[in-house]
Amino acid sequence: MSPERTENFRRLAWTTAGLAAALAPHLLRLEPWVAGFVLSVAAWRLVAERRGWRLPSTWVRGLITLGVTIGVIASYATITGLDGGTALLALMSALKLLETRTARDQTVLIFIGWFLCLAAFLYAQDVATAAWVLPTVWLLAAALLRISLRGGEGPALRPFRTTGAMLLKAAPVALVLFVFFPRFGGSFWGAPSSERAQTGLTEEMSPGDISDLTQNDVVAFRVRFEGDEPPPPRERYWRALTLNDFDGYTWRRGDSQSYHVPEVRHLGAPVDYTVTMEPTAQQMLFALDLVASWTPDLAYKSWDFSLRTRRPVNAVLRYDVRSHPEYRAGESLTGALENLSLQLPDGRNPRTLELARRMRAAAASDAGYLQSILDLFREQAFYYTLTPPGLALNSVDDFLFNTRQGFCGHYASAFTMMARAAGIPARVVAGYQGGDWNPLGGYLIVRQSHAHAWSEVWLPQRGWVRVDPTAAVAPERIERGFEAAFAESDALPGALRRESELLWQAGMVWDNLNAEWNDWVVQFDRAAQESVLSGLGFDDPDWRAFATVLAVGLGITVGILVLWLAVELRPRATDPAAAAYQRFQNRLARRGIERAPGEAPRDFAQRVRRLRPDLALPALAITETYLRLRYGPAPAAGDLRMLRTLVTRFRP
Amino acid sequence: MHDWIRKRQGPDREAVTLRRGRIYILPTGLGVAFGVMLVAMLLGSLNYGNNLGLALTFLLAALGVVAMHACHRNLEQLVARPAGTEPPFAGQEAVFRIALANPGPLPRNDVEAVVAAATPPAHVPAAGEASLCLRVPTRRRGSIRLERVEIATRYPYGLFRAWAVLHPGMTSLVYPRPADQAPAPPQHAGLPGGGIARRGEDDFAGLKDYHPGDPPKHIAWKAYARADELLVKEFSGAAEATPVFDLADAPGADLETRLAVIARWILDAHARGVAFGLRLPDEELPPAPGDAQRARCLAALARFDAPAPDVA
Repeated sequence: MSPERTENFRRLAWTTAGLAAALAPHLLRLEPWVAGFVLSVAAWRLVAERRGWRLPSTWVRGLITLGVTIGVIASYATITGLDGGTALLALMSALKLLETRTARDQTVLIFIGWFLCLAAFLYAQDVATAAWVLPTVWLLAAALLRISLRGGEGPALRPFRTTGAMLLKAAPVALVLFVFFPRFGGSFWGAPSSERAQTGLTEEMSPGDISDLTQNDVVAFRVRFEGDEPPPPRERYWRALTLNDFDGYTWRRGDSQSYHVPEVRHLGAPVDYTVTMEPTAQQMLFALDLVASWTPDLAYKSWDFSLRTRRPVNAVLRYDVRSHPEYRAGESLTGALENLSLQLPDGRNPRTLELARRMRAAAASDAGYLQSILDLFREQAFYYTLTPPGLALNSVDDFLFNTRQGFCGHYASAFTMMARAAGIPARVVAGYQGGDWNPLGGYLIVRQSHAHAWSEVWLPQRGWVRVDPTAAVAPERIERGFEAAFAESDALPGALRRESELLWQAGMVWDNLNAEWNDWVVQFDRAAQESVLSGLGFDDPDWRAFATVLAVGLGITVGILVLWLAVELRPRATDPAAAAYQRFQNRLARRGIERAPGEAPRDFAQRVRRLRPDLALPALAITETYLRLRYGPAPAAGDLRMLRTLVTRFRP
Repeated sequence: MHDWIRKRQGPDREAVTLRRGRIYILPTGLGVAFGVMLVAMLLGSLNYGNNLGLALTFLLAALGVVAMHACHRNLEQLVARPAGTEPPFAGQEAVFRIALANPGPLPRNDVEAVVAAATPPAHVPAAGEASLCLRVPTRRRGSIRLERVEIATRYPYGLFRAWAVLHPGMTSLVYPRPADQAPAPPQHAGLPGGGIARRGEDDFAGLKDYHPGDPPKHIAWKAYARADELLVKEFSGAAEATPVFDLADAPGADLETRLAVIARWILDAHARGVAFGLRLPDEELPPAPGDAQRARCLAALARFDAPAPDVA
């Protein structure tokens, strides 16, 4: 290979490496064909450069571009969303690679790489993503340095080292910008979210949905409680939304926002807490039953006591809530809401309807009837399992009379339907139950695996009452979580099992790191900025305060940067004559004769002569030789050697 | 702008230290594209309320700031000094050498000199020196002056270009382009009485001591091998046959054509290793052999009645 081709290959290898690192977080999110296409093009391009193959001609590239465009439109409905946009960026980088010849072409690839890093943050802002993206940004910048180098290339890793040093110098400036650049807390244009369903609760529930979720150990939200004391497990019911619309198989939230919010009487002591939730792409927030107040302007309380945001939650969100575990809610029921809460599909689940009629007739009251349903679950051969069998279209019939194995969703669905069948207003509540206490950080971790569904029935004089049929079948689930409920089962997902204390602790440390990260970095918002500014003495900071602090901060950090660069440039004191003279001074200093600051060497020598006449001769010789070396017009070649010898023999 | 810089700095005949005040810096096209990218990333991050996106944007912006200062510093305190020229024949490229000395402890990368075109970039090692070889095309005989030259760099990243303007006042002579074909010089050339012209290498006359400037092909290598002293073969008739090229003898319609013919004669005579002289209306160079004589004669031709220097 000619030197020029070797050089081209190395440049391309740097760029491709940076691009691959930027693509890595997206590979699993992209459609498989997109990921495969991009990776194979990158590999082919490197081999082609190595072997000197011809790049595809313009019309071949045109054909590929056309094919890829059709593919994107077919796979992603839109290219303006996050998924489509990311796929488009990835494909653009591949197409650009196919025509990359000059260093200039490669800079485009590096810019695309940086955009892919940004896209990675739009998907996730956790510690792991940040820990991957930072070195990637570094590598991309090093690649830019490498391809812009034109002279001798030097050691292979020098671009990486040089860029690292520059990033280090850039860090203070970046920090000032990050802390003081004002956050607006709004968006200029709609913030499109990922179209792909995010793991987590959705606005509908079919049999099996929630048991799928329990396989997932991902954090849904974290909660810090005022006083660092969480409520007991049986009160940890996190309401997300209610499901009111039943078609015999699936429960849906239904389009029913026009009811007025029933009155609530809060009893007992409140619980105050702060929730930091991961993005859901949904409009629901999570709060303990029953919510009394919350961060204003963020959400409104729906008629079913759930909190709803006006826009989907696409970024980590933090909010404060006050809840009262004891409450009387909705003691009067409007007709419209009653109708909604009694709705059942015609002709579906006939055997359940028949069973409900029989059991209601046998019971003395509505409450007695509901208790008899729970007794049914408890006393008959119902099993609580994470891996329930699939159900037929008449899902409740199939569950109650055939399979009798189910998860919380099955029980809540059956219970709610039977309540409605007997004329008791009822609905399914979806949310989370429980949470893992992180003793290290003093907060509760609620994971997707804590997803839960329960029922809420309306009884006269009591209003909406929570009934958790799962508690009848598997009370341990509610009191002590999954491990207790599935103590002897292997079906529990690996993440939920405490395989070793050490791993569990490591997991808690990691989660705590993520929680702190969320609090200090991801959630560093306008309020946090204002508290920093008021710490600096700006009360009630306005835009002028922001501008001042930003300008002063940048002035200081850039000033330090300029100074830093100038110090690096200063010639180092490596004058051997000065070093020898310094040794001479050190030896005298040990005998108590120190040269005063600003004392000229000759004056110093005279002082030495007065203090120690025995040293006068060598001291004068050293001084004169030194002065000749430093300031003489043309020092002789042997002077330095002489000075060194004189100093070495100088033993005061 | 150029005049302003010129007035501000004055001419730079000697070594010049590139201090802060004379280094200019602007973003390159790539730098502007980088800025546009940062604005797009900023808007995107603000729109999504994405703090890590903002952090990424700010880190890259800060890297840009560092890159700007590093680019400026890549020239700072370099000492630029004119380091000679190589006169070309008209139509060839004149070579101006500029030495860059780096007194500092940091190496400087990719420093180039630019007039119309750029030189290949040089790496100036820490406490070391490098030489920039500036090639400037010439059109006509006479001389060419390097009026102004930029010492420039885009290191690192190519986002910014820093440059310093020098006015080195270097002048290179431009020899006349030798005629492709020229009639043989007149036989009487150089002989005042117009005597016989004999080629100076015909008859071996003896050996004499070597003096610098004697043509190497006349060295008696065999004698050297025997006696270990450098002797030069002398040929009889050399004195009479020594040509002195006279402008008046050269055929041609105009001065340039005639100078071209003489240049051809000089090259031919030099190639044969004989002594030659030159007679111009205002200057006469006595005959001598060798490279120095060739340069002297060509320089005299370049200077003779020369037009005002071209500016590179």
